[in-house]
Formats: sequence, structure tokens, C-alpha cells
Amino acid sequence: MKALQIRRSVRRFGMARLTSPLSPSGAVRVGPVELTDVSEPARPPGPGWHRFETSLAGICGSDLSLIDGHASSYFDDWVSFPFVPGHEVVGRLEDGRRVVLEPVLGHAARGAVPPWPDAAPGDGHDYAHLVTGPLEPGIQTGFCCSTGGGWSPWFWAHESQLHFLPDHMPDERAVLVEPIAGAVHGAVMAANSPTERRNGVIAVLGAGTMGLASIAAVRQQIPDGLIVAGGRYPHQLTLAKEFGADVVTDGGGLARAVRRATGSHRIGAALSGGADVVIDAVGSSESISGAITMARPGGTVVLLGMPAEVSLDLTALWHRQVNLRGCYTYGTELVNGQPVRTFDIAVQLADMIGAERLLSATYPLERHVDALAHAAAAGRRGAVKIAFDLRGAN
Amino acid sequence: MPRPGFVLEVDRSTPPMLFWHGERFSLERLPADRSRVIYPPEPLEGLRDVEGAISHALENPIDMDPLRALLRPGMVLTICFDDVSLSLPKMRRPDSRQRVIEAVLDLAAEAGVDDVHIIAALGLHRRMHDHELRHVLGDRIVDAFGPIGALYQHDAEDHENLTVVGTTDHGEVLEINRRVAESDLVVYANVNQVAMDGGWKSLVTGVASYRCLSHHHNPESLRNTRSLMDRHHSALHHSIWRLGAVLRDQGPPVFQVETTINTDAFPSPFDFLSKREWEWTARDRATYLATSASLNRLPRRAARKIMHSIEAPYAMTGINAGFTESVHERTLADVYRQHLVEVEGQTDILTMGIPFISPYNPDSIMNPILVMCMGLGYMFNMYRNKPLVREGGVVIMTHPTYRDFNPVHHPSYIDFFDEVLTDTTDPVVMSEKWEKKYAEDEWYRHLYRTGNAYHGVHPFYAWYWGAHGQQWAGRVIIVGGDPSTVRRLGFTPASTMADAFELASDVVGRSPTISHLHVPSVLVADVT
Amino acid sequence: MIKAASRPLAKYGFPWRAPTVPRGVEVPEKPSTLGPDYDTDWARRPSSVLMRAALIAGPIRMLTVALARPEVLGLDRLTDLQRVAEPEPVIFAPDHHSHLDTMVMIRAIPAVWRRDLVVAAAADYFFDRRWKAAFSALALNAIPIDREATGRRSAELFRDLLEEGHSLLIYPEGGRSPDGWGQPFKGGAAYLASRTGTPIIPVHIEGTGAVFGKGMRRPRPGRTRVVFGRPLRAGPDESTRHLNQRLETEVARLAEESVSDSWSAARAAAAGSLPTRTGPAVSGWRRSWLLAERRRAEVSGRSSRPQRSWPDLGQR
Repeated sequence: MKALQIRRSVRRFGMARLTSPLSPSGAVRVGPVELTDVSEPARPPGPGWHRFETSLAGICGSDLSLIDGHASSYFDDWVSFPFVPGHEVVGRLEDGRRVVLEPVLGHAARGAVPPWPDAAPGDGHDYAHLVTGPLEPGIQTGFCCSTGGGWSPWFWAHESQLHFLPDHMPDERAVLVEPIAGAVHGAVMAANSPTERRNGVIAVLGAGTMGLASIAAVRQQIPDGLIVAGGRYPHQLTLAKEFGADVVTDGGGLARAVRRATGSHRIGAALSGGADVVIDAVGSSESISGAITMARPGGTVVLLGMPAEVSLDLTALWHRQVNLRGCYTYGTELVNGQPVRTFDIAVQLADMIGAERLLSATYPLERHVDALAHAAAAGRRGAVKIAFDLRGAN
Repeated sequence: MPRPGFVLEVDRSTPPMLFWHGERFSLERLPADRSRVIYPPEPLEGLRDVEGAISHALENPIDMDPLRALLRPGMVLTICFDDVSLSLPKMRRPDSRQRVIEAVLDLAAEAGVDDVHIIAALGLHRRMHDHELRHVLGDRIVDAFGPIGALYQHDAEDHENLTVVGTTDHGEVLEINRRVAESDLVVYANVNQVAMDGGWKSLVTGVASYRCLSHHHNPESLRNTRSLMDRHHSALHHSIWRLGAVLRDQGPPVFQVETTINTDAFPSPFDFLSKREWEWTARDRATYLATSASLNRLPRRAARKIMHSIEAPYAMTGINAGFTESVHERTLADVYRQHLVEVEGQTDILTMGIPFISPYNPDSIMNPILVMCMGLGYMFNMYRNKPLVREGGVVIMTHPTYRDFNPVHHPSYIDFFDEVLTDTTDPVVMSEKWEKKYAEDEWYRHLYRTGNAYHGVHPFYAWYWGAHGQQWAGRVIIVGGDPSTVRRLGFTPASTMADAFELASDVVGRSPTISHLHVPSVLVADVT
Repeated sequence: MIKAASRPLAKYGFPWRAPTVPRGVEVPEKPSTLGPDYDTDWARRPSSVLMRAALIAGPIRMLTVALARPEVLGLDRLTDLQRVAEPEPVIFAPDHHSHLDTMVMIRAIPAVWRRDLVVAAAADYFFDRRWKAAFSALALNAIPIDREATGRRSAELFRDLLEEGHSLLIYPEGGRSPDGWGQPFKGGAAYLASRTGTPIIPVHIEGTGAVFGKGMRRPRPGRTRVVFGRPLRAGPDESTRHLNQRLETEVARLAEESVSDSWSAARAAAAGSLPTRTGPAVSGWRRSWLLAERRRAEVSGRSSRPQRSWPDLGQR
């Protein structure tokens, strides 16, 4: 079957890295991803595996950083090449039931003992199961060569990864459930962080898919909080406002807006006080150091965007005693003392905000160069989320 | 003999008119047979013997004893002076204020007065930099009074050093600098560049607190200020004069020294700016072409630096001293003598070029809020009786209106632009919803008191300044302005003057009448 | 060696060499053209003016800056006289401590007067040798004055020069200070001012005495300062003596302004308590002792000047 595949090729990663600043579509052409005939994956060992027929598969920021060669070498041993990417997937099983994928390949999928009964795939405090067991290493579907991935007509999914969709929810909305779940995880982290106060100020840096989803999630989790959001493009700012941000500002003005909201001083580049929680949905050197200087002393920075390699002056982190917290995927959340699956909240939230508004364009796999170039320049081209549409391919 | 101002009817042989365009200028052709250009009077001759005129004014004041007689050993004397917002552009050294204050100090020294403080009456304006103080006062005063702490700038947020003098029958509280209130004599040295300045406004705004200023610096007053240049029909000035009466009756004696200057604002090579276009010589035209070509090619920063380095060769046209109210009437006569131009009737459109400078950005950036303030606040208000444009007419300005702010001088302007203007451009709404937050912001307060920033509330005042014009005009168009910035101001962007006339036709029809306020140089149109 | 080389020249006699005077013939002595009698008209011809401008802009400026690094204050007091179409001639009357004073003054005086400036210079010093006289006349536009007797001739010459539009630089003290303290003003400058109605500008020069004072064999580079005062004009019935006194007080006030500030100086002047210019009425070591005290107060003279840091003017 025809699918997009990423192979380990130092030359191609290097070429992509060199080309990407000049031309996103050029980087796709010379980069490690290619549309080829892949052999259909064999059914993984163990019970509970289903053939997952892809309807829509989103393009995520982490996919893009792989394709343009900027991904961290940290993941070299956590993934298995060649793999078919794609982890924001909505599709149907052979019996016709519509499902959305929770992509983490957790204990159940690998036949390991879960940390506790009913644990979600993402739960647990030891990641050993991600690289051991009967499957090849792979943190998620879409990074593992054993299961296949979303950017192909079908792949194998374990029943622990499946969330069945209500009939009324269109695919276009459901494809955003996975990124929204990530944002919900961050928002719950913010809500539960010891530094969040009632009516506190929460700053959200970046208004791409994750930033916008975070705004909605924070609005849901911390209803009384004052959300200050910064984005670069006008359509992002409009959506940010619609998703519940109280103050929106173009990127450069965020620190000023946080200062206004918190009534603090501005000392050089930093604020004297600042936001109780800053959610960084960008993950660049600038955004992280900006986030640290606009979090109040003792506040929390939630790192939602995948940062890869950044260079940071940590003096501010040290001086301000800021908690810098990574925020990866989802699992089981503690909301008001009750354990809830992140995906359940996300499905609900996607319905609530009409998440299909974020899906700007879909492409067939054959036009992957255009699709990936569009995704790489999403903000500038007035888009938010780009996805592959494989509904005709099955 | 300087020629008076006049109104030129534009015909087909009228050359294109000079318009300011921020740090640059442009020539725009106005439609023939329905446009008129209001030219300012030429600069009046200055006083021949300035030294003598100053000492004559101090020795023979109006409705008051000579200064010499008011001075005695052991008294508390305070000298206040106008800040760097006057004059525009800055005056070539020595400044009138320096000359007046030195003369006053000589008399004070002769009389054996020991306790003298010199206070910059800057109200809520930014504190002056050291070099600006030196420019205004000269090195001798700064070197003599600075190190001993007797020369300082008024601080409207220093509540320990503010005191209430009294209350008007309208309930306006006069709260001013304690040192001024408790002096045995206050001498005020001003520069009366336009008719808005001077009189009680000098002290009542210059050394007042925010609370005191908010009695008249509000949308209500400024919408009823018709105009800023006509104090007898200005709600702002009425309130100030009521507060002035409190100062007169319950405050210290005030010896007001008001100086007027002519409109000789541009030295060579920029002197062609003040000439009438059809009188440009070959040299003037060459200079225009060369300067505008180079200004257009220079980065904005460099062009700004050049323009702000201009020092005007103003000459003093009059000096009056004594009792504030009597002095100010004479001063106004002197000012009007220079500025007044008789104009008949209103037109559908008023055009004006907005320069690189306004009273609130000396040596700084003309940010979008100041463009509004300069256009609708100052230049629109350059009238007596009624505005040059009919109610509901169109105001067309030319300015690049870039989104550029000086973070040292205008920190609260940046936030005002980002936060308040995205919410509303209505002065009344913003004053109710936002003003307090800005006025009480600790950071702005800190920067105003210790840095060189305008007070947090100042962008509101700058905006209110245009409240009357904003209400009066049916549409405001900025030619050559950055579109998104202009829209945020609530105005309409146009790329050329022709486009602007097209856009205006929605409001005023196909063949509107046009008045063009010819600046540089200042004029007040006496519209009948 | 040289002698050997020049031997062939020995055979050349008159007219290659000066004639010898026959016995019994008396050569009449030519009238002196040096000292007070030196004729300096040639130095005001256009070619000389041009050359002088070049000298002032080049070597003199370099020398002045290298030796004295003058700081010029108070020029704003002259603006009214300067900013007219044709500035009238004026008389500059500084105190005098050093030969450097003239060079420093020439650089300090505004350009409108510098071009036509004439300097009154001591005939017995600046005009005693032909080369010195030529240099003084050309570079400084100096005019010899006989300081023993202010001759009618020089007074008339000055008046003519003023009428021709030349400004004058006259040292009313008549000569350099012998010990560093000032000397009483002689009435010449005031007389000229009151006779011609010319404004007279008091000037205080500080530091040149320490850099190259009288009796010093070589200059010690340092800083100097020139403070211009407000122009004085003779009142309608004012006597020369009174004008001279005002002039002297004004210079004393400028000196005080330079070491303290203008406000203290104005108050001291008004109270009649300006420090003495001419030094205490004591002699010997106490005079020089007190002079050292005074010089310590001055900001000029020393080669390194301590940084003054201004307090924040907005604070009380």
C-alpha cells in the first residue's frame, strides 16, 4: 500500500535541516519522508489488536520537526525506523465503529504489567515498556515500525488505544481530539500546580493548534482565571478570543499584557511579578526564556511545545525560582480529586468549542509535499491544523 | 515689514502645496477653484534689546509692584518654568526662560534672597533629561542650583509634597506643589508659543497633582473646548481660571513673566519650509529636492534625528510681567498679532500635514496617539469662533503613522495602543473604563517619578485633546499612514491624496470645498 | 672643515657683502621701527588676514589645545550682540596671567569678532625683535602698546581701529600677573569704551597661570577655562573710573562663578563680599600660600580634573 514513511538517513535529515529555512516544500522533497509502497505491517503479537482504517490524520509540530531535520537526537533510541508517522488519527475499525486513537503505545499494548489497574497508556513512572517487549521501540503509534502509523490507509491499533466516538461528532472535529487532549493535560497541570491561585493570571504563549487548544482547556479547567494570550497572526488572535482568552495580543506584546494584567513592574526584559502559570505552546529558545521572565517569582512554566535543542540563560529561572515543567501527552487526570481519562475530557471539549474550526485544510497523501509545506507555514498562510484525508483510500 | 497671513484661492496655476509627512514632506496638488490655502503671517520682528526689555518688564510690571520691591532677605522664593514641551522646535540657546530667570536671580541676589528653588512645571509630562534642562536653563543655573538640590522637576505623585490650596465653587480642588504653595513669592517664566499656553494654565497645570488636573483634563471639558486656542470659549480654560482664582485668593503671590516668540522656526537649510511655494527661489527648490530626496532615503531613525536636532532661531516678540490675569491678556494680544488670519466661512474638507514633532515628543518618536493628538487636538483647534471645517466634514492629514513608540518616554502609550484602543476610541468610554487603571499603575508611576516617562494617564489626555475634533469630523483620513495602525485610531487610511479625496466623497459629495492649513509655522484662523 | 668650505666665498666682497664704512663718514641712525613704533598696518591686509586665519585654525589651535585644553563658558551672554546682521565691534577685557592668554582668547572669541580682532600687546615684549614683532602682528594681529606710558598715539590708533570695525582684546591689568594674583585694572580699556560707546566684555581666564605663568621656563600642560561675562556699556553720565570699577568687579564675579557657581557669585557680588582678585594685603609666603589654596578650588590648571557627578535633579 502507498504510505508516507520516514527512514533513518543521516544524509536526508541533514539536507532537510539545511533546506528548511529556505523552503519548506524543498525540505520535504529532500527530507527523510517519502511516499512509497510499504509492506503491510504484520499483526503484532498478543490479543486486542485491531485494523484501524484511517479517515483523517493530522500533521503535528513534532512530525514537522522530524521532517525538517530539527528533532532532538534524544529520541533516536525511543523510535524504530522505518516508521509511518501520524498519531493524530481518526478512523474506523473493520466493524465500522468510528474511533479516535490515543497514540501512546502503553503497557497493555506491549503486554507489560500496568502500573495500576485501568491505567491509561500514558500513565506510569517508568518508560521501560516503550522500548521493550514484543514491539519495536516507539513512544507512540506513528513512531514505531511494528504497528504502522496514521499517514497510511490502515495500521494496527491496540484496544487500549481506542476511544469510540459519538455518532454526531464529525471526523473533522475528532481529528483534533488528540492535540486537545495534550492541551487539557497542560491545563490540568496548570490548575493543579501549587502556584495557581483562584482568579490567577495564566499566560499562553503561541496560538497555533496547541496554544489555541490550551486556551480553551484552561478556560474549562480554571473558569475564573484571567487568560492572556499572545499569537503572531490575526486569525490566531481572533480564535484565541473566541476560545476564551481575556486578553489577546500579538506576540511581542505578551509580556506587556501580562504586566498590565498583574500590575507589576517591568525591569529590563523581565517582569517584577507576572503570571501564576505560563503555558509555552511554542518551545523555542525565545519563547521559553520569555515564559520564564513573565512567570511570577515562584510561578510555573508549563512546556507544552516540543522544544528540541534550545539555548537558555537560566539565571532568571534560578532567581525567580520558577518551576519549569514538561508536559507530554495525556493519560489519567485528577480533576477535583476524581481520576478522569484525558481523552474523555478532550472529546467533550472538542465538542464544546467546535474544534473543526481549527482544521484549515486537508490533502490526499499524494499531495504530501503541499500538505507539509502548508503545515510548516500554517500561521503565515492563515491556517491552524492541516490533515491528510484518507477516506477515499480505503 | 513682515506680511500678514492670508487666504489663497487655489487656481490652475497654483503650485502644489507643501505638506508635512512626519519627518519628511511632500508636495500635493489641491483641486483648483474649490480649494483655499491658509497661509500664516510671516515672522514678526523680534525685540531689539531683549536684555533691556526683560529688565523693563521686571521693573514695570502690570498691576503689581516691581519685582525688586517684592524681594526681601529671608523670604522663600520659588521660580517655576515651562518644560521642554515648549518651544517646538527647541529654541536656539539661550532660551527665553534662561534669560528671564537669570534676570530674576540677579535681582534676588541683590535683594539678599537666600532661599530660592527652581522648579520645572511639567505637570504630568516626562522629566527632562539633564541636557534638556541645560538647554532650557543654561549651564550656569543648572550648575548653581542642581548640586544643592534647589533645581528639580515637579512630581505630581509625591503626595507628601503636594498640598490643597482650596476648592472652587464648582468643587474643583486645587492641589499643587507644597513648596510653591508655601512660598512668599512665586515667579513663573514661560514661553507663550501658542494661545493655549500661559495665564493660570502655567501654574495650575504645571505644578498640580493628577487629581487636580483631572478636573479639566477630561473628555467632557475638551469636547466643550471651542477651541484650545481661544481661552474665552474653552471649558478647559474656564476650569483652569476658576482654579487660578483660588490660587490668586488663597495661594502665594504670583509674579508671572510671559514671553512670546515669533514663528521663525526653521534655520537654513530648512528655511524654505516657511516660504510661500511660488516664492521659492532656484536655491530653495534645489534644497527642497535635495533634502526631501535624502530624507526619503534615510532610515526613519536617522531622519528623525536630523529633524529633532533643528534649533529654531526664534526671536522674542514681547515680554509682559506682573499679575497673571492682566499679563496674560497682553500676551494673548502679542500671540494673536503673530498668529491670527481672518478666514471666511467653513469648508467640507480640512487638510493638514502632520509634522515630526508634537508637544509630547520633543527629541522622541511621534507615535500614533500623538498623531491623533497633533492633528485633531492641536491643528484642528487652530481656530477662533468656529472650526475651518463644517460639522460632519472630513479631516485629511498626511503622516506615515508608523507603529513606533519610544519605550523610555512613552511606556504607557504602548499599552494604551495595545489595550485601550483595541477596546474603544471613544474618550468617554475610555475615561470611565480604563483611565483609573493607567493613572494608578505602579510601574508607570515609578517611571514617571524616577525615569523620563510621561505619566501613565498621559496617553488618555493626549487622546482627549482630540475629543472635540473627533466628535466634529465626519471622517478622518490619514494619507500615507500604516493601514492597520490608522484603523486602530478609528481613522481611514489612504495611500495618496487623490484616494483620500475619493474616500471623502462618500461623506461630502463629489466636489467638496477644501481648506488647507499651511504649516510649518503656526496660525490661528479667525473664522467668520 | 666648514671654514675650508667657505674659503672660496672669501674672495667675494661688496656687493656680495655689506659695505664697509669709510673713515670720516657718519651714517645717520635710522629711526626705530621696533617696540611701540612698529607699524602693523601690513598685518591687516587681506593676504595677511587669510594667512592669519590659517595660522589660527592650524598651528595655534593645535598648540592651544595641546597646552591648555580651554573650556569656554558664558558665550550665550553675547548672543544679542552676535545675532544681528552686522555685529558691532566690542572690547574684550580679560584678566592676564600668561602669554598663553592671547592664544586661548583668540580661539575662544566667537567667529564674528575673531576675524577682525586686534590684540593690544606689550611693545617691550612682543615687539622687541623684528621676528617677534612680525609674528605677533601676523599671527595675533597684535598692536604694540607702551605699557610705561599709554601714549596718545596708541589711544588714537585704537579708536580708529574700532571705527574701522575691528574688535579689541585689551588686558586692563597692563601685564601678566607677577605672582599669580590679579592686579588692579588700569583705566585704558574703560576709557576707550566710554569714549567710543563700545560694549566692553569682561572675561575671566582661569588656569593659564598654572599652565604657563610668569616666570615659568616651560609650560606644564593642563586645562584652562574662559568665562565670558555680560557686555557692559558705559552709562550716560558714567565716569571712566566707575566703568573700570564695574569691569573689575564683573571679572571678579566671573572668577568666583568659575570656582563656585553663578548664584553664589551673584549673591557675593551683591553683598560686596567677592573674594579679592588681587590677593590679600600681605606679603611673602602667605600670598603664595593663599594662592595655592585658591588654585586648588579652581577646576582648571590641573592636568587631570576630577569627575564631577551630578546628583539626580528630580530628587529632592
